[in-house]
Amino acid sequence: MNQVLVMAIKDLRLLFRDKLGAFFIIGFPILMGIFFGMVMGGPSSGSDRAKMKIAIVDLDQSTLSAKFISQLADNGSIELIETDLEPAKESVRKGQRLAMLVLTEGFGETAGIFWEKPPTIQIGVDPSRSAESAMLQGMILESIGQLAGQRMGDLSSMQDMVKKSREQLANDKSISSGNRLLINSFFSSLEGMTQSIEALQTDADDSSSSPVENGGFEFAKLESIDVSRKIDPASQAGQMKKIKSKWDISFPQSTMWGVLACAAGFAISIARERTQGTMMRLQIAPISQSSVLIGKAVACFFSVMLVISFMVGLGLLLGMRPGSYPMLALAALCVASCFVGIMMVMSNLGKTEESVNGAGWAINMVMAMFGGAMIPVMFMPQFMKSLSILSPVKWGILAMEGAIWREFSLSEMMLPCGILLGIGIAGIAIGTSLLNRE
Amino acid sequence: MGNSIAEVSALKKSFGDIDAVNGLSFAIQQGETLGLLGPNGAGKTTVISLLVGLLKPDTGSVSIGNSSCAEAGDPTLTATRRLLGVAPQALSIYETMSAQENLDFFGRLYGLSGKKLRDRVNWCLDFAQLQDRAKSYAGTFSGGMKRRLNIAVALIHEPAILLLDEPTVGVDPQSRNHIFESIEALRERGMTILYTTHYMEEAERLCDRVAIVDHGKLLALSSVNDLIEQYGGASMVTGDLAELPKEIELPGELTGKSIRFASNTPLQDVAALSAQGVAFQTLNIARPNLENVFLTLTGRSLRDG
Ligand SMILES: Nc1ncnc2c1ncn2[C@@H]1O[C@H](COP(=O)(O)OP(=O)(O)O)[C@@H](O)[C@H]1O
Ligand SMILES: [Mg+2]
Repeated sequence: MNQVLVMAIKDLRLLFRDKLGAFFIIGFPILMGIFFGMVMGGPSSGSDRAKMKIAIVDLDQSTLSAKFISQLADNGSIELIETDLEPAKESVRKGQRLAMLVLTEGFGETAGIFWEKPPTIQIGVDPSRSAESAMLQGMILESIGQLAGQRMGDLSSMQDMVKKSREQLANDKSISSGNRLLINSFFSSLEGMTQSIEALQTDADDSSSSPVENGGFEFAKLESIDVSRKIDPASQAGQMKKIKSKWDISFPQSTMWGVLACAAGFAISIARERTQGTMMRLQIAPISQSSVLIGKAVACFFSVMLVISFMVGLGLLLGMRPGSYPMLALAALCVASCFVGIMMVMSNLGKTEESVNGAGWAINMVMAMFGGAMIPVMFMPQFMKSLSILSPVKWGILAMEGAIWREFSLSEMMLPCGILLGIGIAGIAIGTSLLNRE
Repeated sequence: MGNSIAEVSALKKSFGDIDAVNGLSFAIQQGETLGLLGPNGAGKTTVISLLVGLLKPDTGSVSIGNSSCAEAGDPTLTATRRLLGVAPQALSIYETMSAQENLDFFGRLYGLSGKKLRDRVNWCLDFAQLQDRAKSYAGTFSGGMKRRLNIAVALIHEPAILLLDEPTVGVDPQSRNHIFESIEALRERGMTILYTTHYMEEAERLCDRVAIVDHGKLLALSSVNDLIEQYGGASMVTGDLAELPKEIELPGELTGKSIRFASNTPLQDVAALSAQGVAFQTLNIARPNLENVFLTLTGRSLRDG
């Protein structure tokens, strides 16, 4: 056992000393993950991407609703088209618009007053583009927030508001006496403040950005309306709904590149032990023959786990939020076992480092392409989708996605994990017998 | 005869049509340096592989150790392997590990650790004269330095028998000399060594006994002197005479003023000629060497391969 560890440590050390190998194991997956994440979700800054086309229906027709619309339109990443209710729905259904917004009646009365019942904005989103809708919601809240800020700046409406609110407060029986006192004194100081500001005749033009959310108050109540037909939860759109961050897809996918690089790296290292003659020393050392291979397997397993942990860690930093960590651990263990087996077989694909390298990466590329490490399986043409079940990469990605965003139950995890373990065990058996035959 | 520490008997190993080792038997005595001398392809490396259990003999047997070693037995036994230290003909060190890391890694494989391991690593670095390059990757070493490290790694666990397979192949003369000196130092410490080579000078200089092998067969095994005496044939006397002698029966043929003859008693023959008034301008007496022995035994030169 001790000797197995000595060998595994040596192998890990050698793996990371090989600069190119280390790049493919860590650097390349990071680049892939970030690149695909950007391509899929777009950068969150929103400046250099296509504008989101939004249909807006103003049922309130107040000055404030108009103000809200113009503010939202000021946001560089939104293109607003005002229409009526039905055409708006139609346009979203047909995919011409990303979403529709409905400003309901009474919007102008309460919007921007944070102690009022928040105004309701109805949103209908194209279900296949829910990732973008999160961004849209953020922008709406921001605009409402600005509205609130402007109300603060507009002194006459402010004073009006305070008066009105005091009346309401007096009538509201649900507020406890202690709170009533507190709120009353707050209103008094607010009144005093607005008066003194008025006296100074300063123009409180609010150009400073106002907070979206303030001390837990809701600026607006976003109510979603169903635009399209009922969504089958297994459908693509249903699946997409569960994706919480753009990294959710790009990370499992790019992590597999690191895993593939580990398998190739160790397969090559076995070939290298042969060509540089050190395999002979290992074979004549007072250790059992199998511990030479177990050492490699342990090191490969460990490095795959390392890559997955590293990528998950990076994903977390970027905003990926795995649904279940125990499932993710299970997925990682199965992926690692699977690719240890693949590594063992791969190491027999040639006699020299070069031939193992060439053959190993050729196989990796095919597995990656059909397994969804280049394009996600869900975006593949049908023929590729059906071939993808042959690729261990597909099952690796599925297992990780199951843990990260697909919300797989343990029994749903069984399929990908079982297949991964099966491939791993078969690979270890075949690879070991091939290696021992020499 | 001392007691033997390794024995092979009736060893056979063929690869397809090639009988690489064809009925070989010999024993290595404790404390001796035994040479395996033969041309390329004679089967030397195959013998080493059989001795360390890398290859299984088709027939015959290998036994390592003697009653003084608890681990004695077949080299395929894990414990027996501890007795053997091997410096393979092909370099076998990790190029992207330093000299020190190579030694440390193999030391651990042989179960060393802690202070014992550190001491052995230092000893081996001294032995290979690599102390000042201990932390450099082996890949950056010269051919000679790599060879020295290759041998040092074989010594890390203080084996009972050191097997050196052509340790000077591809080495510059200076490194070669250094290797000779370090092997001689090991001999003095009583190390048992099996040394394969196709250079007869090396066998003559380093080995107590030499086994001459060709086509996987053992042709002769004895001390260098015995082999020469038995198979070396006569010494060769060559010289230029000051003037052409008259009415003297010469032991060899004369070409111009140059004389050349073979003799088992060259000094006496030359003395007799001098006594008869033959004056030599130049004189060279070549004693027979292992090259002659090989020629006698096979009809071929060692270098022909
Ligand atoms: N693995 C092998 N497969 C086939 N032939 C081999 C193998 N190893 C050695 N031989 C052949 O066996 C003979 C002896 O080789 P070897 O033991 O390497 O000789 P030496 O070390 O004396 O040069 C050679 O003819 C060589 O070609
Ligand atoms: Mg050889």
